[in-house]
Amino acid sequence: MVKILADDWHVLTGSYALDALPDPERAEFERHLQHCPSCEAEVRGLRETAARLAMAQALQPPPGMEQRVLAATYRTRQLPPLPPERLPHRRVARRMAAFAAASVAAAVALGITQVSTQHRLESTQASDAAISRVVTAPDARIETTRTPAGGSVTVVASAALREAVITSTGMVSPPAGRVYQAWVMSPSGARSAGLMADRSSLLASAVVPGDRIGITVEPAGGTSKPTTTPVAVLPA
Amino acid sequence: MPRMGGMSRPDIRHWQPPTEAEPDLAALVARVARGDHRAFELVYGELAGPVYGVVRQVLRDPAQSEEVAQEVLLEIWRTASRFDPARGSAAAWALTIAHRRAVDRVRSESAGSRREQKAATEMVPDDDVAEVVAATLDHQRVRRCLGGLTELQRESIKLAYYGGYTYPQVAHLLGVALGTVKTRIRDGLIRMRDCMEVTW
Repeated sequence: MVKILADDWHVLTGSYALDALPDPERAEFERHLQHCPSCEAEVRGLRETAARLAMAQALQPPPGMEQRVLAATYRTRQLPPLPPERLPHRRVARRMAAFAAASVAAAVALGITQVSTQHRLESTQASDAAISRVVTAPDARIETTRTPAGGSVTVVASAALREAVITSTGMVSPPAGRVYQAWVMSPSGARSAGLMADRSSLLASAVVPGDRIGITVEPAGGTSKPTTTPVAVLPA
Repeated sequence: MPRMGGMSRPDIRHWQPPTEAEPDLAALVARVARGDHRAFELVYGELAGPVYGVVRQVLRDPAQSEEVAQEVLLEIWRTASRFDPARGSAAAWALTIAHRRAVDRVRSESAGSRREQKAATEMVPDDDVAEVVAATLDHQRVRRCLGGLTELQRESIKLAYYGGYTYPQVAHLLGVALGTVKTRIRDGLIRMRDCMEVTW
C-alpha cells in the first residue's frame, strides 16, 4: 500500500466529508483523524456543508413511506447510549482538556508535599513544565477511564514527544502498606512509570504508539514488575 | 428498456419544509433517544425529504432509493442516543448517515452495473436539478455558491457527492490527476462552506 505522507492527509478532508475516499484510505484517514484535531474540525465544517448540498436536493418521499417507517420504530429496539468513558475521543478530549488544565494546577500546588513522599522510585514526578509540554503538544491525545477504586485516571500522550502524563483523581486510598503504581506496558513487558499519588501527575517517557498505561496496587515502595491485575488500563 | 431521461420528473413533487416554527432538531433527537415516538414523527417531518432526496440523487432508482431512505430513517431512530450535538448539527448527522448508506449501496453493487453506466452519461446538469427540487432557500443558495466555483471544483464536488463516486473515479471521469481532484474537492468545499456561511 502506498504510504501517505503527513502533509497529504489534510487535503483528504474534503473527499472524506463527501464519502469519496475508497475503502482502505477511508479507514486510514479515520485513524488519522483521531490524532489530528485540526483535520477533525475541518471535517466537521465540511460535513455541515455537505448536509446543505443534501438539503438542496430534498424531495417529497413516496406516499406510505412515513407509515412504514413509523410502524417499524415500534418493532425496533434502540441502541443504549455509550458509557461516558467510551464516548468518542474528541468529546472526551474537549471535556478533559479543562480537567487536564486543572490537574496541572493541582499538581503544581501539590508538588511540594509530594517531595516528602517516602517511597519514590527513580521515575520522574512530572514537573509542571513537562506536563504543559505534553498537554499542549499539537498531537496530544487525552484518554480517561474510571477505575474500580473510584475516581478516574487520565493519560495525555504525545506521539511526537514520545511522552505521556498520567494523572489520577478521586481514587480511594490504597490499603495500608500498599501503593498505586503506574506502568508503561508494551509487548515486550511492563516498566514502571512511578508511584501514583492522588491528584498528582507522572511523566512517562519513551512511550510509543501501541503502548498502554496501566495502574496496579503494589506493596509500599513499589515493585519492578506488576504483581496484581491493573485497576485501570488506557492507551498511551 | 425504457428511456431513463424523463423518468425522474412525473412522480417527484416539490418538497416543502414544514411550515411550523423550525423546531430544535437536536432537542428532538434527544427525545427520540428516550423512545419518544411523537418526537420521531417531527424528526421524520424535518428529515425525510432531504434523506430521500440525497439517496435518490445517488442511487437514481426510485424503488431502491425508497428502501435505503427507510433504512436510514429507521437508523436515526435506532441510533439517536449516539448523536452528539458537540460534534455537529442533527441534520448533518442524519444526512451523513443517509449519504453513506447510499454510497455503500452503490459500491457494494458489482462493477459495471446498470447504475454506473447510466449515471456516468446522465449526470444531472444544473438546470435539470433546478426542475426537480424545491425552490427552497437552501437550494437557491447552494446553486448560487456552486456557481461561484471553478468548473473543475464544481464538477468534482457534484460527481463525488451527488454521483457517489470515489475521488479516483472522479479523476478518471474528468481526466485529471488524483492529486488535482483531492485538492479541488477540498478547496471547492471550503469555498462552499464560506459562501453559505455554514457555522459549525
